[in-house]
Parts: sequence; C-alpha cells; structure tokens
Amino acid sequence: MKAIKELYAYREMIVGLVRRDLRGRYKGSVLGFLWTFVNPLLQLVVYTMVFSVIMKNGIEKYYIYLFVGLVPWIFFSTSVTGGANSILSSKDMVKKIYFPREVLPISVVTSGFINMLFCFIVIFAALFISGIGINPVALLFLPIIMIVEYFLALGFALLSSALTVYFRDLEYILGIITMAWMYLTPVMYPETMVPENLLWILKVNPMTSVIMAYRDILYYKQIPQLETLLQALIVGIVFCILGHFVFCKLQKGFVEEM
Amino acid sequence: MKDSQNAIEVENITKKFKVYFDKGNQLKEKILFHNRNRYEEHWVLKGISFQVKKGEAIGLVGHNGCGKSTTLKLLSKIIYPDSGSIEMAGRVSSLIELGAGFHPDMSGRENIYTNAAIFGLTKKEIDARLDDIIAFSELEEFIDNPVRTYSSGMYMRLAFSVAINVDAEILLIDEILAVGDANFQAKCFNRLREIKAQGTTIVIVSHSLSQIEQICDRSIWIHDGEIRKEGRPRDVHAEYLGYMGEVRQQIADKEKERLKEKERQKEKEREKQKQKEAQKKKESMTLGVGHEEVIATERNEKRWGNGKVVIKEVGMYQAGDTSRMRTIFKTGEDVEVVVRYEVKEPIKDAVFGMAIYDSQGLHCYGTNTKIDRLDDFDVTKSGEVHLLMPKFDLLPEVYVLDVSIECETALPVDYYRQAYRFEMTNVIEEVGRFRLEHSWEIKEAE
Repeated sequence: MKAIKELYAYREMIVGLVRRDLRGRYKGSVLGFLWTFVNPLLQLVVYTMVFSVIMKNGIEKYYIYLFVGLVPWIFFSTSVTGGANSILSSKDMVKKIYFPREVLPISVVTSGFINMLFCFIVIFAALFISGIGINPVALLFLPIIMIVEYFLALGFALLSSALTVYFRDLEYILGIITMAWMYLTPVMYPETMVPENLLWILKVNPMTSVIMAYRDILYYKQIPQLETLLQALIVGIVFCILGHFVFCKLQKGFVEEM
Repeated sequence: MKDSQNAIEVENITKKFKVYFDKGNQLKEKILFHNRNRYEEHWVLKGISFQVKKGEAIGLVGHNGCGKSTTLKLLSKIIYPDSGSIEMAGRVSSLIELGAGFHPDMSGRENIYTNAAIFGLTKKEIDARLDDIIAFSELEEFIDNPVRTYSSGMYMRLAFSVAINVDAEILLIDEILAVGDANFQAKCFNRLREIKAQGTTIVIVSHSLSQIEQICDRSIWIHDGEIRKEGRPRDVHAEYLGYMGEVRQQIADKEKERLKEKERQKEKEREKQKQKEAQKKKESMTLGVGHEEVIATERNEKRWGNGKVVIKEVGMYQAGDTSRMRTIFKTGEDVEVVVRYEVKEPIKDAVFGMAIYDSQGLHCYGTNTKIDRLDDFDVTKSGEVHLLMPKFDLLPEVYVLDVSIECETALPVDYYRQAYRFEMTNVIEEVGRFRLEHSWEIKEAE
C-alpha cells in the first residue's frame, strides 16, 4: 500500500520518462512521431500480402486474425525484454539518487502500452476497411482486457528488470524465450490446431487467455467468455503482485550489484 | 518513529560491502569459475545509532573511508543496511550527486521538470517553483538552451537550484558547497541557512569543518564505522583535529624513518667509496706520488661554518616531553626545541640562534642568545641547548627551522639551514602567520 502511495507521488517522473521515451523513439527520423502509425500499418500491409496472396490458409481474413493478436503480443514481449534492460540502462541515476525503482519498469511498460493504443487506431481502421466492423457491446470489454494485460506485462517486467541486474545474460536469453513463447501462444494459429496432448501448454500460459479475449472482441466480435476473462484477470493480478514482491526483495542490492 | 520530535532515527545500522577478488556476472562465469566468486567482507559500518530532531542540522565528520558517506547513502535509501533500521519523517532531498538524470539534449527548463520529478514533485508543484529555481540559478538567458551547451559551473548551478528548491523536510548534503564561483557559493550558503531557519532538518557530510560549524548544531565524528564522539561541533572538531594531527605525526614519523634508512644506505656506500680511495691512495703512495690530505668536513649550501662545534641533532617536542620528536603542533601548544651539539674544539663567547621560515621562504621569526641578552658563555663540552616556547602561536602552515652556533665575532661555527621541518594545525580559522593576543568589544553609540 505504502509502495503505491509513493509511486503516486512520483507520477510526474513516470509521465516524464514515458514522454521522453515516446518522443525520443523516432527522434531524428523524417516522419518522426508518425512512425508510430506507419510502422504497424506497413506490417499489416505485409501480412495481407503474404497471407492472402502467397500463404493462403483456411482462416477468413487471416491478416486481421493475426494482427489483432500480434499487436497485444508485441506490447507484452517488448515490455518483458525492454523491462529487463530498464534498471541497468539507468544505472547512473539509480546509483546516485533515490526514487522508487519500480518507476523504471513501470515507465517502460506504460510507454509500450501507449504505443499499443496508437496501433489500435490502425487496427480499427483495418477492421472497418476489411468489412469486419465492430460490435460496440463486445468493445466494452476491450479496456478491461487491456488493463489486465498491462498488469500481467508489468508483473513480468518487474521480474525481468530485477533479475537482470543480478544476472546479465537474462537480457539476451529473454529474446529467445519471448520468441518461443509467441509460438506457444495462439497468436498465429487458432488454439484448435494444437494437438490434444500439448494443450496443457496453452492452459498454463497466462498469455493464452489474454490473446483469445482480444480476438473474441475484435475478430469474432463477441463478448469474451467470462471464464477466459476471469482467468486472465486473476493471472494478471497474481503475476503483478509476485513480480513486485520479488522486485522489492532484490532492489535493495541493486546499487551494490551494478 | 519512537519520538515524534525526531526527523531521523537511525538504530544500530551495520553495512558490509563485498569486495570481490574477480567478479563475474554472466552465467558462464558463475558456473565455470565458481571459485572466482570469492569475496572478502568489509564492514563499513559497525553499528551506528543516532537521532536527529526536526529542524536540527548535524554534520558528519571523519577521515576518508570512515563510513560517513555510506551513512548518508543509507539515509537517502540508495543502498540498504544489512541490519538495523532507519526511519525518516518527511520528504527527503539529497544533494549527493547533483544533476543526476540531466539529459544533455533537453533544455534547462525541461531538465528542471525531469530533475524535480525525480525528487518526487508533481507538475503543479514544479510550476509553482519554476521561477524561483531559474532565478536562483542565474541562468535566465540560457534556460531554453540545451544543457549540453552549459559550462560545468552553469550545470552545477542549475542542479543545485533544483535540489535546494524542492522544499524537502530533510536535506542530505555531501560535500557540495563547492558549487560555482565565490559569489554563488555564498548564495548557496545563505540559502542553506534560510532553509534551516524554516525548520528543515539537514545532514551534512563535509571535510570543511568550518562550514559545518557555521550551519550545524551538532557534529558526529564517525571513526572506522563507529561513532567516536558527538556533541557541539567545536568540541568534536577540536578532538577530531587532534586525532588527525596524531595520525599525520605517525605517518610523518614513518616517512622520516624511511629517509633515515636511505641516508644510512648512502652513508655506507660513501664509506665504501672512501675505503676504495684510501686503498688507491696507499697504492699511489707506494708508487711515491704524494697527495695532500683533504679535510673531510662536509659542507654544502645547507651547512656552513668552521666546524669547531657541530650540531648533531635538532628536535622539536611538546614541552616537557622529550621522549618523542614531533613534527605537527597545534597552535598555542607549548613547544621545546632541543639542539644537541658536539665540541671538536672549545669556542669562546658562543651564541646559539634559531630562525623560522614558512614554505614560501618568509622569515617569520628569529632570535639568538645574544639578542635575548644572555650572558656570554664558552662552550667547552658537548651538550644540549633547550629553547622553551610556551604558547607557540604560529598559524597553520609548513615551516622550517634553522639553528646556528656562532662565536665571539659573529663567525659561524655551524649554521644548519632547514634543520627541522614542522607543521601547524589549528581549530580556528584565523589567517596569517601568527596569532596576536586580542579581544573584541562592541560599543554602541549612546
């Protein structure tokens, strides 16, 4: 509780860091901030070309199917890998001055989150253009699943950021882990394609229910199953608390480890 | 908090650092070179407890590596103690590393926002203080330029302005009152006093004891991870300086011992050389070539005179204790100079003299037995001259002492330049070379 109060007091710092990250991301490029939209748009174009012309599969409008899952996944994976580096890259500040260290992974996750929101503008445009459209009632659940995913990502980012300080290889190992993780999450394929005996992997994977919920809302235009949503919520909260607990334990030794 | 009057409560904190012999952070290193991860534990703090009342200012003093900066880092929660507890009431601002988190490409103004945010200020609070911060930094014209274009002085000024305008309840300062030019320093100092008057609790770590004396109500002397003494700054500092003098004396003693050893070595070599020469001479003598004996009284630019009486040793002591030579004295101490001499040939109407020069060669003081109107005396036997100087009021500097023996017609017998080197230390910051007896009185007009 005390930690939350303190973080609230440091909200200006989080806002500042997020702003710096978002602004600085495309600094020096011609399109600048526009890249935030252009990037996902071009990705979508590529997927459309590849999957509706070359690699046709049975799923209707597969590029949308893929895209609504991929955008949330990218947010999650960049949170985990970016979070891993967050403490170490601010080494100078951490060593010299006090502030709640959680601020660093939180701002990484938050700026990733905001980036995802911008991507959603592209997603909505694509939904309309492709003729799928939206279901306003189902859409009401979109913010909920976004927030759930935010906390899940934060939990993992806290874990990865704190552990990386003690164990530098994690930063690189995480690249492989997140890649494998993506293929073990039904981002590119429907969960029905998974053989019976491997289904348990999807079940224990906390991201499965999150991605499924996104797809339900946006692609299938239906209210996600309450069970899926609830599972995602519980898992999100549990990981966030667990991540913070570990972080608190480890952060006391940060300065000496760096 | 045990006592609501307290702003800081530190209870029996200990801190150890691991000193790795060869540290590896990678998986490979951790597995392959398991025994490389050996380390030594170094206890920096061995149980320190103190309380600071709200509005009180305390100074932490101690020699390098005594743990005072570690204590400050613990207070600012950059690192955590291994045992014990620290409680702080209120917002803490630390002037430990100024300008941490400054972004060189952003303007001064933007950096004020980010830097103040690191201290936990909200945008509203920063807006309210912005003008004060800019005015204090005296950087109005440059505030919208990127910080990378600033000089280091400007950079520090901006950083200091932010840190000091945070309106913290507790302010931690580590050796920072060396910001900017003399004017700005004075301004910082005055601001610090203002802040103190407003009831802010202040903890300062500094080697400048006078700064601490001017601001702090209390000093804590930390010695090797423990509190050695605490109390009124003046009292604590006097004892601290005494101790530091002692330490320097020991170091100086060692150094002297080393030099002596070197001298002895040289002496031996010289002796060998002489023997060789003597050998040669003998050989040449046998060849029938005669050589005049050279009188081997070694004289150089440091020593001159006819050498009838030779100064063997010069020493300075605390008066009454001639067991241990000292090279460091406190202003106002009683000092005794002893000159040991050896008579080769008796002299008449001898005069002993001394002179003190500072490191720039200024002749600070000089006198001799004739000036002091001692009766004439003859020197026929080896012995010692004792010169007693109660209340030795030289001010801090490095000095050298010359001693001399002359005879009747001011003919130098043995003049020994720079015979002894000594240092003075002082608790008070008087300036000059000598302390003059004085007292102040202020008379207001009727």
